[in-house]
Amino acid sequence: MKHPARIAALAVALVVIVFGVVLALNVGNDPQEDARQSHLVGKAAPAFDLPNLAGGRITLADVAGKSAIVNFWNSWCTPCREEEPSLQRFYAAHKDDPDFTMIGIVRQDETGDVKAYVNKNGIEWKVALDPGSVAALDFGTRGQPETYAISPSGVVAAAKYGPMSSKELELFLAAARQTA
Amino acid sequence: MIRRWGPWIALGLVVVIALAVVLWPSGAQSVAARAHDLETEFKCPECQGLSVADSQAPTSRAIRADIKRRIKAGQSDAEIRQAYIDTYGESILLTPQDSGVSLLVWILPIVVLALGATGIVFALRRNRDQPHLHATEADERLVQREQGDG
Repeated sequence: MKHPARIAALAVALVVIVFGVVLALNVGNDPQEDARQSHLVGKAAPAFDLPNLAGGRITLADVAGKSAIVNFWNSWCTPCREEEPSLQRFYAAHKDDPDFTMIGIVRQDETGDVKAYVNKNGIEWKVALDPGSVAALDFGTRGQPETYAISPSGVVAAAKYGPMSSKELELFLAAARQTA
Repeated sequence: MIRRWGPWIALGLVVVIALAVVLWPSGAQSVAARAHDLETEFKCPECQGLSVADSQAPTSRAIRADIKRRIKAGQSDAEIRQAYIDTYGESILLTPQDSGVSLLVWILPIVVLALGATGIVFALRRNRDQPHLHATEADERLVQREQGDG
């Protein structure tokens, strides 16, 4: 080894170059962005089997063959209340579509409060209760409201954390209908 | 011989001891201990910078219950970790994974440390190999003469 210092400098330079290339390749990956997007899009929707307000059950199988909008919410969440008029308008526009269904899944709430909220606001779509947040975790929710579009074949076509506008809900339904 | 190989043997010992400490199996853990270890690895999805273990957010409470349920159902730590990564992405982990690009975060410091240690060894060897010059009587006389003139 004639020039050990040169070789060591070369090795350090090599490491710095490799590190630089890796950083450059990953510079577009925003960890915050990763935390904001659902990793279920394009995958099969998680199975769920939850009680509804009427004492029956609602399962993923119930929405098979339809384009479904699944909305996680609860009665005490302010953004959920702000979102509710958009959901009402959207549901009124599509409730008679034979290929459409909508489910509200309630997480972290009391059944009595949910019933009161549903009655007060005249919510007509199906409402399921998720007391242990099992379905919420399977969907990878980070809070509420969160909305998922599920295709007739059971694939998650779109997802959003936060309140939805009527226009966004229309786009979600279109995505569900277009996803195989 | 010892002077020549001593630094390398010392460096090797440090690496072996560090690997032994990191990789030594810790034995069977209780459900609660395993659950707590996993809870400290996961980030609370609805808060900033808190682990699931430290957060009282509803989602963190649900995750803690889910982890215990999965352990009792016989899932391994790796399976539980992967289930959460599949659903939430790698952002659910508080520390980077030791695979893929994230592996660099763990490897680079070791590489840089090894390069630094190698550099020090080479520098010491070069210093040792350099001839140690001693002043001759003629040199000392020359210095004394110069000092006397000053």
